[in-house]
Amino acid sequence: MTTQEISPTDPTLQVPHQLNYRFDIVKRSKLWFTLSLAVLVVGLTSMAFCLASFGTPLRLGLDFSGGTLLDLSFEQPVTTEELRQALQEHNLGSSVIQLDTSTSQEALIRMPPLSEEERLAVEATLREEVGPFERNLVETVGPTVGRLLLRSGILAVVISFGLIVVYLTLRFQLDYAVFAIVALLHDVVLTIGLFALLGLTVGMEVDSLFVVALLTIIGFSVNDTVVIYDRIRENLRLVSRKVSFAEVVNLSLNQTFARSFNTTLTTMLPLIAIAILGGATLKGFAIALLVGFALGVYSSIFIASPLLVWWRQQRSARIVDDGDPENGDPVEVTAQGS
Amino acid sequence: MVKSSGSLLNRLAFLRGLILILAVVVAFVYLGFSREVRLGLDLKGGTQLTLQALPTEEVTEITSEVMQGVEAVIQQRINGLGVAEPLVQISGQDRLFVQLPGVADPDRAIALLGDTAQLEFRKGLVPANTLPRNELGEVTAGEDPDALFEHVGLTGDLLRNAYPQAPRRGSQNWEVLLEFKPEGAEKFTQLTRDLAGTGRPIGIFLDDVLISAPVVGAEFARTGITGGTAVITGNFSVETANDLAVKLKAGALPARIQVIENRTVGATLGEVSVRQSLYAGIGGIVLVFIFMVAYYRLPGLIADVALLIYALCTFALFQLLGVTMTLPGIAGFILSIGMAVDANVLIFERIKEELREGKSLYKSISEGFNRAFSSILDSNITTLLVCGVLFWLGIGLVKGFAVTLGIGILVSFFTALTCTRTLLLAAMGIPSLRKPQFYGVRMEVSQS
Repeated sequence: MTTQEISPTDPTLQVPHQLNYRFDIVKRSKLWFTLSLAVLVVGLTSMAFCLASFGTPLRLGLDFSGGTLLDLSFEQPVTTEELRQALQEHNLGSSVIQLDTSTSQEALIRMPPLSEEERLAVEATLREEVGPFERNLVETVGPTVGRLLLRSGILAVVISFGLIVVYLTLRFQLDYAVFAIVALLHDVVLTIGLFALLGLTVGMEVDSLFVVALLTIIGFSVNDTVVIYDRIRENLRLVSRKVSFAEVVNLSLNQTFARSFNTTLTTMLPLIAIAILGGATLKGFAIALLVGFALGVYSSIFIASPLLVWWRQQRSARIVDDGDPENGDPVEVTAQGS
Repeated sequence: MVKSSGSLLNRLAFLRGLILILAVVVAFVYLGFSREVRLGLDLKGGTQLTLQALPTEEVTEITSEVMQGVEAVIQQRINGLGVAEPLVQISGQDRLFVQLPGVADPDRAIALLGDTAQLEFRKGLVPANTLPRNELGEVTAGEDPDALFEHVGLTGDLLRNAYPQAPRRGSQNWEVLLEFKPEGAEKFTQLTRDLAGTGRPIGIFLDDVLISAPVVGAEFARTGITGGTAVITGNFSVETANDLAVKLKAGALPARIQVIENRTVGATLGEVSVRQSLYAGIGGIVLVFIFMVAYYRLPGLIADVALLIYALCTFALFQLLGVTMTLPGIAGFILSIGMAVDANVLIFERIKEELREGKSLYKSISEGFNRAFSSILDSNITTLLVCGVLFWLGIGLVKGFAVTLGIGILVSFFTALTCTRTLLLAAMGIPSLRKPQFYGVRMEVSQS
């Protein structure tokens, strides 16, 4: 392939322009969409299975399902049977009991929601029959709390989407904003789907921090999309009108690759550390963020941008953009001799 | 090469910039680190409760007035507990959010808050020795209290004060001393005069449960007990006497309340969480620092310095603003460091591009900053929007996360554009550091 330097305003140029970049992302749009759809199908299937086995599309933690959780450190090693027997007296024999395997001293007991009196009675029985303990954690969540949490979570997502659409429409154009939101929905739905899968396979539960994680994913993933859009807008002003929109998007994606990859990596490093070393509370949170950020960077490059190209091709073959095409620095353009 | 970058005048300007940045950092850090870190419940232990007010026969609807009444009473009762920095907040229509940091005995706190504490003195209709007793031998008001006791309108709202009183000689039990308002004193005199010497008791009821049934001696038959004080005796320890006094003093709750959420974290667990999260955070950040130097060379090193300054400033700012550190708060802070790196990455990638186009180092750096600016601005604003929503809708944990992330983004916006820039330009002032390979770019084109 021979390349020759030309200026973008060369009047002798008749063939469509081909810009100089390494990866043609837009050409394989179908492949990227198919990949996402495959993950979506896996997620939806997991959610269906969850619905069948737990009655909810995700395995819900205490925050949503309601219940009482006791985390007790016994002074002496205890057995699950001892605990279950003591609980049986209060008709709580069916409680979920997790015993720390290394020392057999720390027990996590999950029960249906108990009133304060009931809980104290249970604790007293455990003290008498199993042995003295120190309380690490008591969580009682009424059944109505989760509903409220869910409502404010969904409200937060909707409001965030609204604000982002308004802002991006002001800074770019409406269609940019719409596809940014499509990418965000992609990230949120796929993260939820993958957590349904984790709930089925490793018993991952979702709690209120999961809602926070989803919102953070929204804030973060729109970041990547905006940086790429920014670049597209800038390039549109630099290159000649004869260059197709798809070409400009491809060039912009290639220019922002390093940044997308590095930023995602540097953000993920502390999260990986938290997922491995962090306390139990933060583990699920960190994993949700990791999944979401990975999806977020993927959707910015492989979903939002190709969709924008597809949409603009549907509308017209010509590029219509607000930006005044300034004659700034000409971009290096290479023509392909066929 | 452009010469101006190395000129003495420029170097002085950057030196001044450097000194200014250092001064700001030192001042910040000194101010911030001279205070103690405020730790949230999940880190230092304590109890967080959500109480829900329930309608009763008298109060059929929970209005905002009722909630304010509930809040006032709960606040008063908590003050009686002597907790440092409690928080009482109305949330939503009928809920009250209560935080009690570092409470050693959450059960006592819950018992203290949950009772309606409606005190009532009633007139006994049958002799005290015929009252029914429970299996522990304590007197009860039986199945039908109204058959045994008569309401005379002497209730807790006629009390002026109540306090615990040490046991009398020869007794183990504390007492609760009551002082009536004038109207209450009058009713009490009347009641004791009626009952004196009859063997019929005064029924002292708390939340419609008989807590004691003392008999009035015959010597009061003519005058009744005057002076407007009375003593409740019973099986009280110092704590229970104190708690009852607190409840009576704060008055009755205008509605029944129920604990619908209780999160109690033991102090040990909190310590473990702090340690784990800090190790994780520091470990992750160290990895980021290594990566930046490996990938971006000299600018990466400069970015690391800027990031350190960023982390110190942000933390100091948390301290100055009195942000309470919670587990999600720490996560937000660690995440904000990731965001701060992003601004630097955007700038450096741009600088590299400019360098590859064969521009001079000085021009590349200033162009790189200018071109990265709009991306940094847009991406930060969108994240801030989400933070704002989280803060506005969130309670407790979610708020802490939104606050730390939001503050972090604002500070990083500032440090990326000022610190990194000043430090980079300062480094440019040193001739031996002006090689493109220090900037991660291999120059194949010989410079003309």
